[in-house]
Amino acid sequence: MEILGFLAQGLGVALTPTNFMLAVFGCIAGTVVGALPGLGPVNGVAILIPLAFTLGLEPASAIILLACVYYGCMYGGRISSIMLNIPGDEPAMMTCLDGHPMARKGKASEALAISAIASFVGATLATIGLTLFAPMLVKIAIHFGPAEYFALYILAFATIGGVTGANPAKTLMAAAFGLALGTVGLDPVSGTARYTFGVFHLFDGFHPIVAIVGLFAISEILVYLEQQHSTAGPMVPVHRAYAKFSEIAATFGAMLRGSLVGFVSGVLPGAGASLGSFLAYALEKKVSNRDKTFGTGDPRGVAAPEAGNNAAAGGALIPMLSLGVPGSGTTAVLLALLISLNITPGPLLFQKQPDVVWGLIASLYIANVVLLLLNVPLVGFFTRLLALPMWLLLPAVVMISFVGVYSINHSTFDLFVMVGFGVLGYLMRKLDIPIVPIVLGLLLGTEMENNYRRALSISGGDASILIESPIALTLYGATTVALLIAVFTALRARRRAQQRKNLSHTDTQP
Amino acid sequence: MSDRITGLLIAALAIWYAWHANSFDQGFGDPVGPAAFPQLVAIPLGLFAFYLILRPDPDPHWPSGHPLLRQCGMLLVLLGYPLLLEPLGFPLSTALGIMIMAWLLGAGLRAGLVSAITISLALFVIFDQLLGLHLPMLPENFS
Repeated sequence: MEILGFLAQGLGVALTPTNFMLAVFGCIAGTVVGALPGLGPVNGVAILIPLAFTLGLEPASAIILLACVYYGCMYGGRISSIMLNIPGDEPAMMTCLDGHPMARKGKASEALAISAIASFVGATLATIGLTLFAPMLVKIAIHFGPAEYFALYILAFATIGGVTGANPAKTLMAAAFGLALGTVGLDPVSGTARYTFGVFHLFDGFHPIVAIVGLFAISEILVYLEQQHSTAGPMVPVHRAYAKFSEIAATFGAMLRGSLVGFVSGVLPGAGASLGSFLAYALEKKVSNRDKTFGTGDPRGVAAPEAGNNAAAGGALIPMLSLGVPGSGTTAVLLALLISLNITPGPLLFQKQPDVVWGLIASLYIANVVLLLLNVPLVGFFTRLLALPMWLLLPAVVMISFVGVYSINHSTFDLFVMVGFGVLGYLMRKLDIPIVPIVLGLLLGTEMENNYRRALSISGGDASILIESPIALTLYGATTVALLIAVFTALRARRRAQQRKNLSHTDTQP
Repeated sequence: MSDRITGLLIAALAIWYAWHANSFDQGFGDPVGPAAFPQLVAIPLGLFAFYLILRPDPDPHWPSGHPLLRQCGMLLVLLGYPLLLEPLGFPLSTALGIMIMAWLLGAGLRAGLVSAITISLALFVIFDQLLGLHLPMLPENFS
């Protein structure tokens, strides 16, 4: 029961007036960012990170603010899925399938209510899971030495994005590229300047936050300019979310199943919320689609993916906090924040700075309650935001990014670096090269190199130390399995695309 | 084709990256040295780049015409803004940037002007006055 003691201590941190206000503000900001189409959770958190810096917040307060933004985004994403059939963020894609048909049938307010409650159930269950399992993982991680950490980082790179179906070669190339970018700057051990071309601005390396804001926020604008979305379609006015208790009760099983699937896929490295909601929807369709109602506005098809993506969001925090290895893009950005605040997540964080960890966990419980209250009676406010024109929104986003990045070092050099990363991110998106591995490489590169060098200096330069311990061997085994799965899925996707091509080819033949 | 070009560029980068590491000073009493890790990273970087040259994915649809022009315009604004920020001061350069961006995104001139002035002043008040972040305020030659 020591966990309850820690949680009580955390509540003490989370309920200080400053932290509570930040949590509420984070929830509102997150829901807004999540609701607006095009601005996903990664962008939302990335844009608000500079704000945390300019406010000069304590580490605990800063992470509370951004974690609440993160949870809020997950709640908000469903709003535009239901109302406009445009996912507010990537994980909310599955909610479109049954949410928008419900809205068209005149059941928008029921869909919003059920999805808000499903989000609450998923996120709360995941937060309970986080409370229980993170300390357990820490107990294992405490036995990790440099060689084991090196193996763990390899596992993280092999699995990130591995199951999402992107070309595995591109994912791994991006990871190596990120690691290469991470070596720019002064070598911490010998003090040698590496790949700096004598530019003293580069001696500290690329600031991960500058890179992240560029890769996500700036590239988003270039993508938007290319597509120039058609303006929002007709929208049913909704003032508050409301559903009968019997309707909600009918979806309860779907919420629980969705939460479980989502949570597991969130904990697994590299999977994240998109996979969580996808699997939750797929499972629910298998379990309850007896009358073929899925896709035509079945409330269970709204509840399951929403519970799934929120549960995955909570689950993804577990490896990030207890091992320092993020399980998704957004947790990678949260990790960047922690590293920039000179906090290294991992088992030691739980021992040395319990106020940060448990304050964060406690405030996630609070955030869930706040978000439920925000999303049920006030949903009308958020739906009205969907009508904001992009020409108003995007320039403001760019300028906030500029101010935030400028505030880190007060140098315009960083602004050019940010724009450079923006162009890089745009090109990568066009070429279907995932961005998250680059961020991960940039973030974990230094630690990975340190562990590599530490391991080799323990053994006096003998590389076999890297594969000696059973823990490291297990991790390499898991890496191999993950890579095989990734290659297999990619091959199958390729074959399927080929078949479809052949089919359409024969169709066009006279 | 796009993948092949990317692969070629990255492969060249990997080779240069590994070769350049040879020029680093070896530290004393450090069995690994600053060059080992970059050279380790260069191996997968180069190998996957070569794979991309051999087995490229189908080409994406690259922008052309108006969208490309708009993107180039946006890029000019993004690169011009850091150059003008300190000489012109925050409120002026920000308003200018927002106006051009709003226009590129399809806003009318008047709407763009109004939003530019409002947003830039609001940001200046929030960040400089309320949050105490010192932004360059006035044009350089002015103060």
